Parts: sequence; C-alpha cells; structure tokens
Amino acid sequence: MIKNLHPFVLFIYFFYVIFTAVFTFNPLFLLPALFGALLLLIKLDGVKIIKVSFAYVIIFILIALSNPLFSHNGATVLFFINDSRITLESLVYGICAALMIVSALVWFNCFNKVFDSEKIMYLLGRIFPKLALVFSMTLNFIPRMITEFKSIYNAQKSVKQSRIKRYTGSFSAVITRSMENSIVTSDSMNARGYMLKGKTFFHRYKFSAVDAIYLCVFTVLFALSIVWKSDVTFYPVIQMNLTSLNYISVIAFTVLTVLPFVLEVKEALKWKLFLSKI
Amino acid sequence: MKIKTVLTYVVSLILIPTVILLGVMVFGKQSYPAISVIVAFLACVPFFLTFEREKNTRKIVLLAVMVALCVAGRFIFAPIQFFKPVSAIVILAGMYFGSQFGFLTGALSAVVSDFYFGQGPWTPFQMFSWGLIGFLAGVLSNPLIKSKIVLVLYGALSGVIFSLIMDVWTVLSLDGGEFNIDRFIAATITALPVIGIYVASNIIFLLILTPLFGKKIDRLKTKYGI
Repeated sequence: MIKNLHPFVLFIYFFYVIFTAVFTFNPLFLLPALFGALLLLIKLDGVKIIKVSFAYVIIFILIALSNPLFSHNGATVLFFINDSRITLESLVYGICAALMIVSALVWFNCFNKVFDSEKIMYLLGRIFPKLALVFSMTLNFIPRMITEFKSIYNAQKSVKQSRIKRYTGSFSAVITRSMENSIVTSDSMNARGYMLKGKTFFHRYKFSAVDAIYLCVFTVLFALSIVWKSDVTFYPVIQMNLTSLNYISVIAFTVLTVLPFVLEVKEALKWKLFLSKI
Repeated sequence: MKIKTVLTYVVSLILIPTVILLGVMVFGKQSYPAISVIVAFLACVPFFLTFEREKNTRKIVLLAVMVALCVAGRFIFAPIQFFKPVSAIVILAGMYFGSQFGFLTGALSAVVSDFYFGQGPWTPFQMFSWGLIGFLAGVLSNPLIKSKIVLVLYGALSGVIFSLIMDVWTVLSLDGGEFNIDRFIAATITALPVIGIYVASNIIFLLILTPLFGKKIDRLKTKYGI
C-alpha cells in the first residue's frame, strides 16, 4: 500500500510528479499526469470521486474556454466574437493550462488522502521541531475548544440575548479560558524540563530497504522524464519537435504517474488471492 | 544558533531570487504559477526559522492557542455564513504580541485549517497573505490599540489585501503564466461582494473583540506577572 511507504519517500514522489507536470507545460506530460492522478484517486476514494470530478470538469471548462476570450495571440483564427479574434493557438494553450491546474488539483487531493497530519508533522519536525510541537498542540486544542464553546453556548441559551451576541460572548469566554490554560500548560512544560537539552520525540516510521528501492525507482524515472523533456511553443503557431529520446521521457513519466495505482491494485489482488486460499 | 541566522539570510536573499531566475530561464512563462507558489512558501521560511530560536515556552503555547482559536473560530461560526473571525484574531495576535507572532499566527492558521479543508496550491498564498496581515498589525500595533478609526480602517484594508493577493494567484494560474490585467480586474469585480463581506465581518469582529481582548491580556498580566 502506498500509504505504508516512509513519509519522506511519499513526499518526494508527490514532489516529483507535481513538479514535472507543472513545469513542463506539455500535453504529452500533462495527460498522463491527469490520468495517473485520476486512477489513484479512484482507487483511494471509490465512488465518491463522482462528486468531486464534477467540480474538476467545471474548472477545466472555465479555464480552457476563458483563455481564448482574454488572449488573442496566434495565427490560426477560428472565428470572431465582437471584433476580437478567437484563435486555435490560444484555445490549445487554455486547454493545456486547464490540464495543468486540474491535474495539480487532483494530485493535491491524492496527497491529502495519503498524507495525514501525523506524517506532515513528522516531516516538519525534522527541520522545525518547535513548529511541529505547535502544530500537534493546535490539533489537540481545536476539538477541545469546539466542545467547550458548545457547552458555554448551551448554558447561555437561558439568557435572553441575540444570537450574534451569544455567539461572540461564548467565543470570547473560550478565548479567555484557553489563554489562561496556555500559561498553566507552559509552566507545567517548563517544570518538566521542556527547555533542557537532549529530548527526543516519538514517531513510528522506519526507513526500510523497500523504501530505499522505491526512492531509487522514483528518482531514476523522474530524472529520465526531466532530462529529455520536450518543449512546446504555442505562439504564433503550435510547434513541437520530437526525437526518440523525448518519447523515452514521456514513457518514463507515464510509468511514474501510474506506479502508485499499480502498487495499490497489486496489493488488493494479493489480498484477494490469499483470502481465497484460506 | 548562528547557522539558523545564516539560513534565514540564505533563504530570503539567495534562494528566492534563484527560484525565480531558474524558473523563468529554464521553464519559461508557463511556470509562473508554480514559481509564485514556491516563492510564497519561501517567504514564510525565515519566520519559521527565527521561531525555532524562541526560548519562551509561554510564547510557544500561546501561539498554538491563537492558531487553534482561528481554526476553531472557523468551525464555531460556520452556522453564520461568511462571518469568520480568522483575520480579526490574526490582527489581534499581531497587535498585542508583536509582528513576528502575528505573522506566524496567520501563516500557521492557513496550514492547519487546510488540514480540514484540503491542502492545495493555494495554501502557501493563504499562509503568506494572512501572515502579512498579522505582520503589519504588529508593525502598526500602537495606533491600532489607541484609535478605533485606525482599527476599522486596517480591518477593512486587510480584507482587501487578502482578496487581492488571492486574486493575483487565481489570475496567474488561470492564464498559465501570463498576468493579464483585464482578467485581474474581471476577477476582482466578480469577487467584490465576497470582499465586502470579508471587510464587514473583519470590522465587526475587531470592534467586538478588541476591548475584550485588551482586558484579557491585562488580567493575565496581573494574574501571572508576565
């Protein structure tokens, strides 16, 4: 399962894919990027994806169609609207921009599914330990504040006042209490020696040989797809010169994008097979 | 400790220009949206690095509380539509605890609330714009505390700043790198009602919370002798 990879390897993977998709701005890269992201999202999310994909389609159409309305560069004129020309090139450019944004959005959606706050905190804690502490405390405070607010609000219901006033009054009470608690908490932390040197912090991730292999595979595929990337010029006419080396990079990137989906499917199959043997 | 100071300068003086130059020279115009996301994130890094040198545990916990208040506020006021206390609390944090603290409250609130509402390319922009609102509130802290007029003006301004920065990103990403001024104006005009609501809710929250907040701080000061 892709979720079980080491957070660092996972993060690097997402970085590689999004970086390549966004910076090449080439339909040959953008299409596999969108395709791989959608496959992975379907695997992670199941049927729920229909609801989200509706929004993606709207964003796609909006970006693709609005570019030719605002930008009139390009040699091939398709038709005129109110004396401004609509060109084929700017339409294609708009479609590419739409592909880029939507594929980035779908990848970020997958990222949210795979990366829980614990993983993010682990990665962050390597570089910014104090910030990571603030994060974990905040995530602890939020649900507590909400329940506290609810209890105060319910108690205030017997007092006759407007809804807005009750909301802000209860919220202000939450502010007071949590700020006072913060001082007690920090004093307690000091008393337990938070500021002393040599403290460690708990995590449950281990960098295994499998992680190392995946990291190597991802990096090689990424390097292949970046080294021979092909450039597209859109204006005044669309031009793309492709050599056989460029195809290698496109294939490498396609493999990179569908890899997590293949991994997930492989695991699911394995599970099914072992299950039937019992 | 010295290393972190050096890192701060490296990030702001070397890394950001390098990213911009590299992006423009190697990848061309189409990469502007991606570059702008990276730059917005890098702009926040020096603040994070200086925070790592914070010696005062009270400030660390207080930061967590302020960030949690911003995000919890978003949930608590969810039944009242468009009425969100986030910017107001960020401004208060900047006003009373200094500009660095304000920036961190804003930036972290963006990250943490996106844990719930979904991370995306917009996260660094939210981080930067809320951070900026908190930072400026810290710089202007004296007039803000003393005069109600300045407070209202700043509340309005911060709503506008936030929307405009987010619109810049929208336009950059929609055009695939070209900053089209027509498009920016179009985006701003369609966003006008939302900006109006932002501004109104900022002002209302600031007017209600500021006197209360000042009292709370005074109380804490006498009670715990900070």
